[in-house]
Amino acid sequence: MKKMNDRERTYLVMTLPILALFFCFNTLPLIKGFVYSFTNFKGYGSYDWVGLRNYVDLFQDVRVGKSYLFTIKMAVVSTLVVNVLSLVLALGLNSKIKFKSTLRGLYFIPNILGALVVGYIFNYFFTYILPAVFKMMGGPGTSMLASTRWAWVAIVAVCAWQSVAMNTIIYISGIQTVPADVYEAGAIDGATGWFKFRTLTFPLILPFFSINMVLCMKNFLMVFDQIVALTKGGPAQSTESISYLIYNNGMSGGQFGFQSANAVVFFVLIVILSVAQMTFSGKKEEQL
Amino acid sequence: MKNKKRRMCLFLSGLMASVMMMSGCGGTGSKDGKIEIELVQYKPEAVEIFERLEEEFNRTHDKIHLTIESPNDAMTILKTRLIREDYPDIIGIGGEINYSYFVQSDILADVSDYPGLASIKPAYVEILEGLEFVPTEGTFGVPYVANAAGVLYNREMFKEHGWEIPVTWDELIALCEEIKGAGIQPLYFGFKDTWTCLAPWNALAVDLAPADVCRQVNRGETNFTKEYREIAVKTLKLLQYGQEGPFAYGYNDACTAFANGEAAMFTIGSYAVPQIKSVNPDMDIDSFVMPGNDVAEKNILNSGVDLQFCVMKECENKEAAYEVLDFLLAHDSVQMYLDDQNAVPCKDEEFELAPILDGMKSYITEGKMADYQDHYYPSEMSVDAQIQTFLINQDVDAFLEKFDKDWLRYNRDIIRMVEDYQKRHGSD
Amino acid sequence: MKENGKVKEKVNWPITILLMMGLITIVFPLYMAIVIAFKQPSDMTNSISGILSLPKSWSLANFAEAMRVTDFWRSLFNSFLITIVNLVISIAVHSVIGYAVGRNKAGSKFYNFVYLYIVSGMFVPFAILMMPLVKQTAQLGIANVAGVIICYVVFYMPMNMLLYSGYLVNIPVALEEAARVDGASTWRTYWSIIFPIMKPMHATVAVLTALGTWNDVMTPLVIMSGGGMNTLPLAQMTFQTQFGTNYNLAFASYLLALIPILIFYLFCQKQILNGVVNGAVK
Repeated sequence: MKKMNDRERTYLVMTLPILALFFCFNTLPLIKGFVYSFTNFKGYGSYDWVGLRNYVDLFQDVRVGKSYLFTIKMAVVSTLVVNVLSLVLALGLNSKIKFKSTLRGLYFIPNILGALVVGYIFNYFFTYILPAVFKMMGGPGTSMLASTRWAWVAIVAVCAWQSVAMNTIIYISGIQTVPADVYEAGAIDGATGWFKFRTLTFPLILPFFSINMVLCMKNFLMVFDQIVALTKGGPAQSTESISYLIYNNGMSGGQFGFQSANAVVFFVLIVILSVAQMTFSGKKEEQL
Repeated sequence: MKNKKRRMCLFLSGLMASVMMMSGCGGTGSKDGKIEIELVQYKPEAVEIFERLEEEFNRTHDKIHLTIESPNDAMTILKTRLIREDYPDIIGIGGEINYSYFVQSDILADVSDYPGLASIKPAYVEILEGLEFVPTEGTFGVPYVANAAGVLYNREMFKEHGWEIPVTWDELIALCEEIKGAGIQPLYFGFKDTWTCLAPWNALAVDLAPADVCRQVNRGETNFTKEYREIAVKTLKLLQYGQEGPFAYGYNDACTAFANGEAAMFTIGSYAVPQIKSVNPDMDIDSFVMPGNDVAEKNILNSGVDLQFCVMKECENKEAAYEVLDFLLAHDSVQMYLDDQNAVPCKDEEFELAPILDGMKSYITEGKMADYQDHYYPSEMSVDAQIQTFLINQDVDAFLEKFDKDWLRYNRDIIRMVEDYQKRHGSD
Repeated sequence: MKENGKVKEKVNWPITILLMMGLITIVFPLYMAIVIAFKQPSDMTNSISGILSLPKSWSLANFAEAMRVTDFWRSLFNSFLITIVNLVISIAVHSVIGYAVGRNKAGSKFYNFVYLYIVSGMFVPFAILMMPLVKQTAQLGIANVAGVIICYVVFYMPMNMLLYSGYLVNIPVALEEAARVDGASTWRTYWSIIFPIMKPMHATVAVLTALGTWNDVMTPLVIMSGGGMNTLPLAQMTFQTQFGTNYNLAFASYLLALIPILIFYLFCQKQILNGVVNGAVK
């Protein structure tokens, strides 16, 4: 009996300090952020309690609304683009090709590079190289990043460039889990090409598909580095992501309290989306 | 196994120790008994001159060690430090809304006991006072240099074509047409960096709107739709003389293009000259006051406190901080700064002004100047981005309507404060 | 990979060629960066061919200047320090919590709660923690490298705990029981038996955590910016203005920031790819 207690105590000794650490640097700031959201705190100096004013403002603030629309639009489109591209790429890289491992290795490179620096490099590409190419082809020689219509596309492109690699790797490992005899059986039934993919491969890698969707969506909703490097939220505030707005206005704009309220709403949004996505893909998998 | 664990522990503690050491370096302890003074200034383009001043100071002073930081995006960095309550001793900031916030937040020290203040032109001290939301007892900044904004032009190019300096709005437009006719780009904009949208805006605003329009609005006496319409229309008009895709290029690109003679004029402040000269050191640049009015006499130079030094309340050694200010305000230091940055001194002494200020000199000596309007705009309202949006959408009414609406929202606390003050002190 | 097909399939050349052409999208931006980094501003003409042609001479002057401007070695050192210390602590701490929780959550409400509590931390976006954390780390006097590391240890805890406790399911309890019968304490058992067995998971955790911390900008930006301390990516941001329009210098600096991780990838490609797959699939 005593020995059991000893063991339990050891487990507690293992758990409690770590739990305390986690509480102090995750839950505590979360609570504090919640508390700040009821103040007009600028981050320094004195402040007053303003009740729910920040939340009321939040839902009337066009700029905040635009940033949510932009972020969600960007995240959804990027997630779709990335998943389609990486599935295609994964199928290609998994077929009988030469230099397989070298190609895989090279295609993964974008994923290990820092998003900020990649963003700076692409910034130059979009400002100088691409317009020149357009001009040569007789199009307008203006930068995509300067257009309220197209700047978000450029951001999607850069995000996709970096994220495709990761998802491809996951899909490849997914495709490899498909047993060979499934294909053999399919081949007897005459399954080829698109039909084979749709009826055999895709259902079997569905779990990987949902992993990728969740991973992508979450990452893209929190997009920050690419915005800083490419547009700084411009032109005309058309590419302000939620994280960027919170950082920019919360830290330097003197809206510490207001942006705390924004962050709380953002948090709620992330939780709802994650839970929805998980129950949805959970159901889908059960169906099969 | 036990050995392995011990080695692991050793390794870990070694790493931890180095982390602690590293974090120790971060603090500003006194080096060999000297008093440490840290100055953070917000003008990244002045990095080099401040590096030289810092070196010079430390060479000539044994008791005080001065560190000057000039970070990129300094306001964000500075505010992050304020949030952290990690105060520098002195901050070098502009006379703008952030200064107003700092005064209101009671984090700046009263420097009215600083003897050097007497040598500053009173007009500039008054500008700073005007920036306080409500009159506050004391002086909180020592104005160092002012800048002037208007239009920079390529003097050689103007001479070559025999173009005249415009003094009225119509002349300016006629000139733009003429330049265009000669196959040259009249203006170049760096509107990808939103703050550059404010340069022509401010220059026109001092010509066309009352200097204290923001405070008038805060007191509920007028609105921007009325006061700003002409400015908006005229700023928009200028856009058509800029390069194709003005929102694709940033400030740096615009400076480079102007330096390379790709445009005849550049609506920006004197502060841009060092950047331009870094590309083309031999360029002959002059400037003129933005002619926003139809009557030449009504034009006013856009000039404000570009850099002032504020001592923080938390500064432990105010004497030492004053000694640093003394050094910075010494004639030679100021002249060094002026030569490098083409600025206008706030100190009441004879200085040699940069040739690029030739076209504005008479306004400076006559004192026909007014402060930048954007110094009164709350930063979270992002007026710069709003102007950029307006220039893209080109809808004057929508822009002005939003401006008025946003103004009331972002200034709500300030307006309430002003109302309270008026109630207590009677209307002025 | 699997060569168990009855008929040896032919190499699919069309797809190989397509894939190789696709590589242009990967290689081109890097090529552009390299070419620009080696040129001088005067070599840069306005046409694309001028920008993209090979430089006349392969001078390292831009790199030397970029190193000076961004204080490269110090930033590199900081990045290394943060990444490695975080890795060591993360592996030690997260495997312990993963073990304690993983072994007990089935039979104990408390541990089940701890498990769910920590995992739910995955949903907390950094944006909401950011501002309070800035204040908190400053008040604790750790607005520096140490603070950044602590933040990372906490941020990566949910995912890594999930990975460890998931992996633990495959390790039979009997192993520990045998050691316990011999009189070893739980700690001893853990360090001598479980910790080494979890080696494959350590590799996965190490790769995922390291990639994340090495490239992260936001945490060091808010926790320690302005203190004269930079990490490699942060330095690119801090010195952006000082590059002015000298894109050549800027690109040299960008390349310098990318090179360490590229070299690392060159040598540990297999481990990295495996680690990433393991982490995501689990």
